[in-house]
Amino acid sequence: MRLIIRDDAAEASSYVANYIIDRIKHFNPSPASPFVLGLPTGSSPLGVYRILVEKYKAGVISFENVVTFNMDEYIGLPRDHPESYHSFMWKHFFSHVNIHPNNVHILNGNAANLEAECVEYEAKIKAAGGIDLFLAGIGEDGHIAFNEPGSSLASRTRVKTLAYDTILVNSRFFNNDLEQVPKMALTVGVQTVLEAREVVAIILGARKALALQRCIEQGVNHMWTLSSLQLHPHPMIVCDEDATLELQVKTVKYFKSIEQVALAQGFEQILPSKIRTGNGRAVAPQAITIDQVQSPTILAPQPTTSRLLRPVTPAAEYPVRSVSPDLIPDRMASRLPDPERFVRRLTPNPEQQQQALEEHQERKPKENGVQNGVHPAAFVSSMPHVSSVPSAARVRAVGA
Amino acid sequence: MPSAAPDRPANGMTKLTNCRLVRGDSLVWEDIWVSSTTGKILRSQATFYDELILPDNTIDLGGRIVSPGMIECQLNGAFGFNFSTLLDDMTQYPENVRHLNHQLIQTGVTSYIPTVTSQTADLYSQVLPYLGPSGKARRAEDGAESLGAHVEGPFLNPGKNGVHNKAVLCEASSLSDLEDMYGRSNITPDPSDPERPTSVKMITAAPELGQMTSLIPALVDRGLVFSIGHSEATYEEASAAVAAGATMITHLFNAMRPLHHRNPGIFGVLGVAASSLPGFPPRPYFGIIADGIHLHPTTIKIAWNAHPDGFILVTDAMHMAGLPDGTYPWTNGQEEHFITKKGAVLLLEGSDTIAGSSITLIDCVNNFLKWSGATIPQALRAVTCTPAAMLGVQGTKGVLDFGADADLVIFSEAEERNNDSAHGEGMSSKLVVDEVWKFGTKVYSRCEKGKDGIL
Repeated sequence: MRLIIRDDAAEASSYVANYIIDRIKHFNPSPASPFVLGLPTGSSPLGVYRILVEKYKAGVISFENVVTFNMDEYIGLPRDHPESYHSFMWKHFFSHVNIHPNNVHILNGNAANLEAECVEYEAKIKAAGGIDLFLAGIGEDGHIAFNEPGSSLASRTRVKTLAYDTILVNSRFFNNDLEQVPKMALTVGVQTVLEAREVVAIILGARKALALQRCIEQGVNHMWTLSSLQLHPHPMIVCDEDATLELQVKTVKYFKSIEQVALAQGFEQILPSKIRTGNGRAVAPQAITIDQVQSPTILAPQPTTSRLLRPVTPAAEYPVRSVSPDLIPDRMASRLPDPERFVRRLTPNPEQQQQALEEHQERKPKENGVQNGVHPAAFVSSMPHVSSVPSAARVRAVGA
Repeated sequence: MPSAAPDRPANGMTKLTNCRLVRGDSLVWEDIWVSSTTGKILRSQATFYDELILPDNTIDLGGRIVSPGMIECQLNGAFGFNFSTLLDDMTQYPENVRHLNHQLIQTGVTSYIPTVTSQTADLYSQVLPYLGPSGKARRAEDGAESLGAHVEGPFLNPGKNGVHNKAVLCEASSLSDLEDMYGRSNITPDPSDPERPTSVKMITAAPELGQMTSLIPALVDRGLVFSIGHSEATYEEASAAVAAGATMITHLFNAMRPLHHRNPGIFGVLGVAASSLPGFPPRPYFGIIADGIHLHPTTIKIAWNAHPDGFILVTDAMHMAGLPDGTYPWTNGQEEHFITKKGAVLLLEGSDTIAGSSITLIDCVNNFLKWSGATIPQALRAVTCTPAAMLGVQGTKGVLDFGADADLVIFSEAEERNNDSAHGEGMSSKLVVDEVWKFGTKVYSRCEKGKDGIL
């Protein structure tokens, strides 16, 4: 999970828009291999659409070979009703760019057979080669698309009854008349979103702060369906400062520092090159050979849920990520040339460790006299991926 | 930014973008899609989702104004051709009308009602068949479209004849008098083909003469507009005409009694608050000649303030409109006259009688903008939406709504310094006709003029 925090909504929107543009450009889509974009409605993505339109008009980006799938649509609302999501997309995005109507997909809330419509929608996504990037917003209750609290995290495109709260909130678009608000909607499922190769959620404003906190700092929970992103291999959440109000300071600082380090290293979201360029779609999946590394490396990143729920799914369907074993703390002593010398220290013994530290302190002026004053331990602890190593072992490693 | 891929078949659709649409009393930043196939303004969203097609062309208008095409309700002729003329070879008449239509549309007038002044039955029967509604074929290359003829007279009050020939003025006592004058088929729908509109759309007459007021309901039943004009009607007589179904006043203030505080005359009917009298008909529309000669600018402002929703700008232009200054022959029925044109002023030679105007409709709009402080949409309303409603073609003409005819004028704005202290100093906007579109096709462009100005 990457969490990108920007000072305000405009900057967050700008980040997302530019990120999408960057992705499409790198992907270099063609009619045969289009970029497949999942799209939300609502107030959060408005700024993103505005910037995408500006960039299109400035000639920075073309949507000619972009295929879109929208998340949801009301049931029974006339398609051209001003509050329908067809109208929303038309007004804010499609009418301003060069996307071809054949490439646009929005669920038909007036279909004669809604169930068939949902099945067909999933089939269309599959036929398009799956979604490359699913842009998402969330509700105050952390819902993604119309997957409101309690939605199955294994859900797929389906008919959904709206929560009373959502109907209340939406009534402002229908003359505050609850009777006029559609009570049901078609929506992609949580699973449908998670199967996208990448998910980017934009979360703006203090009202969404609690939802963001639940999705980032708490566990996966069907009451906050966005939290399912924790199971996705490439999720990114972009938010403004207001949305971080409920987060711990350390969480905010942690993600900001991660971004800084990543930026300094010259990369952003770590996506496998095949996903980034789109060239991998036609290539037959290669057999993966793994070295004898005893580590829980993600061989073929896929949502845990799908592995649990659909064990027959071929792993090759999912993008393959290069092997980068996580650091596993082991016994430091085993690395030493003369383990006999330290055999007694295998059992943590505060007295002896203290003694070793003191020895180290005494040696330091002699051996490390020319080095700067930073304590080695401080350096190590600033590397987050090592922080899972038990502190005793860490100290020992430094001392050694 | 042409966006459609070349391999897709042409569909005749054009998207105008980065423009301000005249919608009601405001200018809204919105795109507009038009089709040259249907000649209409498209419901773009439905076209996108249903037809799955994109416009062939996208035109960036750079923030300019898109207005419905202007509608002229009082045009006696222009570019050297007078509608009230009998030609030696009458087969040349439609040719002259066609030529005029091509010229007229370049001024931003996409629809109009050709006006025939007081004449004899012989002339009416010969010219009116050529002046009826001409838009049925929906061909952009036909130029400005007639919505039906306007017969101004001859049932006018001789005391307010203006330059109309007093000798031909008469009174009507029955409907057959009207039918005999204009030709039965020109004002009465053919029972075997009720869909075919009559050649005449509007009749200007003095309601106080003969039985005219009692004939109004029958004319209205036939789909004609009855307009009060060239009349000595008192306030009471004018009110009776309005109650009988008159919905228009021809060039308000001109050729009628002036407003008197004890009897407000025809102008007085604009003072009736329609809402205060249940069952009373709405106040009539009225034409205003804003050429700076026929009316004082303040008079125009008073009329606008009295009833903005009925305010229609007209030119009352003669055939000298669009021609250089000089003295021109004018055949008024059998009589030969000469009219001296100096600038926009037309005078009957050797007199002070105003003989119509030679102003263009857009100049009227610009004058009105300058004098009244009205906004651009308010001023354009007086030549688009309001005349369309008066003529009963609201929703089809004079608006940019979905399904309306794609008759458009694209205006650019020029700032003009207004030094006339009487009408307020400062800057005012002046509209310039950049492009004219008829039935979804561009027919005139100021910047890329081809032969005859037609693209």
